[in-house]
Amino acid sequence: MSTLITAEDVRHLRTGAHFLTCTIDPTAIYIYAEMIQRAMEGRPLELITVDELAAEDLVVAVGMVTQGLFIADMPPVGDEFLGCIRAIEASLGRSVRAIYSLAAANINGIVPLMVGLQSSLPVIDSDPMGRVFPLISQTTLNIGNVAIGPIALMGVTGERAVVEVESPQRAETLVRALVTELGGWAATAMYPCSARQLKEHGVHGSISRMIRIGQILDANTTVERKLLMLTELLGTTRIARARVSHIESLSRPTDLGLPAQPSSIMLEDESTGRIIHLEIQNEILLVLVDGAVTAAVPDMVTLLNSEQGTVVNIDDIQVGDVVDIMKIEAAAQWYTAAGLDLTEPRAFGIPIGHPRRRHA
Amino acid sequence: MRVGLRLEGTSCRTVVLDGRTIVSPAREVHASSLPEALESALSALRREFGSGITEITADVGRVLAERKLASVVAIRISPRPPADAFHDTVLPPLVEPAVTRTVHVAGGHDLRGRPLAPLNLQSFLADLPGILAGSARNVAITSVGSTASKEHETRIADAILSNDKDVRISISSDFYSSVFRDRDYTAILNSALMETGEELAAVLEEAGRRQFPASLLSFGKNDGGRAPLSRLAMAPVHGLHAEPAMAILGAATLAGIPEGEVILCTDGGVTVAHTRGGLPAARSVIRQGFAASLASNAAILEPYTVHHPVRGDFPSVVADLRERQDEALPFELVPTLPSSHDAALVGSAAAPLTAWIDRLETVSGRADLQRVQNRAEEDAHSAAVQLGASPGQTHIVESNVYAMPYGNPGIVRIRVQAAGETHANEEHMLPTAVLRSTS
Repeated sequence: MSTLITAEDVRHLRTGAHFLTCTIDPTAIYIYAEMIQRAMEGRPLELITVDELAAEDLVVAVGMVTQGLFIADMPPVGDEFLGCIRAIEASLGRSVRAIYSLAAANINGIVPLMVGLQSSLPVIDSDPMGRVFPLISQTTLNIGNVAIGPIALMGVTGERAVVEVESPQRAETLVRALVTELGGWAATAMYPCSARQLKEHGVHGSISRMIRIGQILDANTTVERKLLMLTELLGTTRIARARVSHIESLSRPTDLGLPAQPSSIMLEDESTGRIIHLEIQNEILLVLVDGAVTAAVPDMVTLLNSEQGTVVNIDDIQVGDVVDIMKIEAAAQWYTAAGLDLTEPRAFGIPIGHPRRRHA
Repeated sequence: MRVGLRLEGTSCRTVVLDGRTIVSPAREVHASSLPEALESALSALRREFGSGITEITADVGRVLAERKLASVVAIRISPRPPADAFHDTVLPPLVEPAVTRTVHVAGGHDLRGRPLAPLNLQSFLADLPGILAGSARNVAITSVGSTASKEHETRIADAILSNDKDVRISISSDFYSSVFRDRDYTAILNSALMETGEELAAVLEEAGRRQFPASLLSFGKNDGGRAPLSRLAMAPVHGLHAEPAMAILGAATLAGIPEGEVILCTDGGVTVAHTRGGLPAARSVIRQGFAASLASNAAILEPYTVHHPVRGDFPSVVADLRERQDEALPFELVPTLPSSHDAALVGSAAAPLTAWIDRLETVSGRADLQRVQNRAEEDAHSAAVQLGASPGQTHIVESNVYAMPYGNPGIVRIRVQAAGETHANEEHMLPTAVLRSTS
């Protein structure tokens, strides 16, 4: 059933998209939320379920791919995504009927709302990650053998490219190189597929889940109550409430073409004496408690300020801070053998399999 | 002895500190004008303490905040202008009315410092007479990627100054933030405050020279440090929110806790901060909800809550700074400092000279990272010495490396703070411990 998104929903979506980004600076989300709220005045924004489309309707993912320049340093000027959708339509000779998010967190969790307002296309409450991953090949559509191409890109300078490619792994290599040369980020449209394919292989309820998370975190209630409500909604567990004792950059070598270099944070749970080790590369990939794997990608891990119940940004973390380390299970597709092949710690250069690998 | 001084309206409030001891409690002078109040306050101190006063640090934040912002022309450099109104940069309501004209110039750099587009200087030069023909004498210039290369900002600034050397220009690369709108907002606000900064610097300089010709005059900064008065005319924005930082530093100084927790109880509520290396723990931006942040290193002050974790092994001070103290403090807090002290003035008197290095570096591995971090520490040390600190009394307070999520793999942000005292202050406030970590 379609719903009309309100300005209040956008406010909560902003919070939810930040919560699921696991510690990345949220400024780009804030900038987009503000743009959307202004653009919504007098214009309806429709959120639909994939079931509302005809099975063969053409749908396409929209999202930013970055490799360098911060989106917050050069926000899109406004014509990029429309250009990408037109390029996909020209390439396939068909009209796009609806758009969906490339990811269900961070800026890509909110971008489709602006694109929906600009294009008057409905926004589908689905995505191919159920969270955010750094690589465009790390999608449930890839697990389902849905072609990633053609991919349309438009960069900071207005330069464009269309990549005719089928393999998501090859697409990752080609797109990442192009994005660097396009200036550091590119607006993209990719994974053009039928509504049926998205229904079969996508993750559903992505945007409405972020809104619900935001409603909880934005509520005027205690931190403990918020944690309880998050547990009810997402099955969230608190791994520990711990104090940061050490922060280190370049904590391990990386040569996998992944954006950003790794870093790590050590914390101490002062009530139990347990030592917690977070391994980070864009997101928190691994949580070790006294040396034992307690959470590992594709699990989502995020940090909350233990006093305020607000999401903690990695840039703001200082030795001495006390944070709640939260674990959220990813979409079920990620715990299959094919899903773990794409996203478990080994895919990020950490020689550890996911604890659920043996059950996959 | 050192003087902490706060200006507001047509009044001047002072305190005198000798080491960590208050030798003259807070006094306030009201006059018919700010220069008169300042002259009167300093004259009284000269009569009482003579040449014993070696340093004077003024908190000018209240004056900067109360004056009307000057008009500013905002020049924004990026590869392309916004295609619609929704994608335009939005300024906080405080400064938005100050911008009388916005000019877009094609240009900008990526994070590796490579041009995204050639700077369209010719077109800008053609428009320049029209831009300078207006009444605005203040300009703010912000370029995409100026954290990696400030070339386009400085070329536009040079072009303006070649036509009119009296224009006040603030460029965004003087303020570190990876967010365009933060640098844009900060450069605009700084530019709008420069005239007041110049005036305050002149007034303080004149009164200081007359009453204490041998003393070093400084202004208090948002990070709890100070800088020579000459910097006030160039970067007044760093003095706009000094008072909370000075209150943290003052309370910590009086309690003697260079490493610890500072709880400030004011009429506006209870907040908590930390001191590290003798200075307030600082963040590189002042956040303002979801609007643009001010790109100025500033003390971190968080609301105190009932969930605040209490650490028995950690030094802590509770300062009751309320106007009236007849009711008990919330959260069953018990003040540990005498309530009569003006902690922020004590902080101003105690503030050391501070300098920051905050920049992007390209590294190829751990050894390279170590090299660029060492170089940044040397640069921060040199910057503090250039402000007037003695090399032997200058220390690195914080040295951090930050990973850049979804950035180029080899690019890191290096952020270092150095602090020091002048030769005149043998009894400095800072311990020699170096806090160094990477993140």
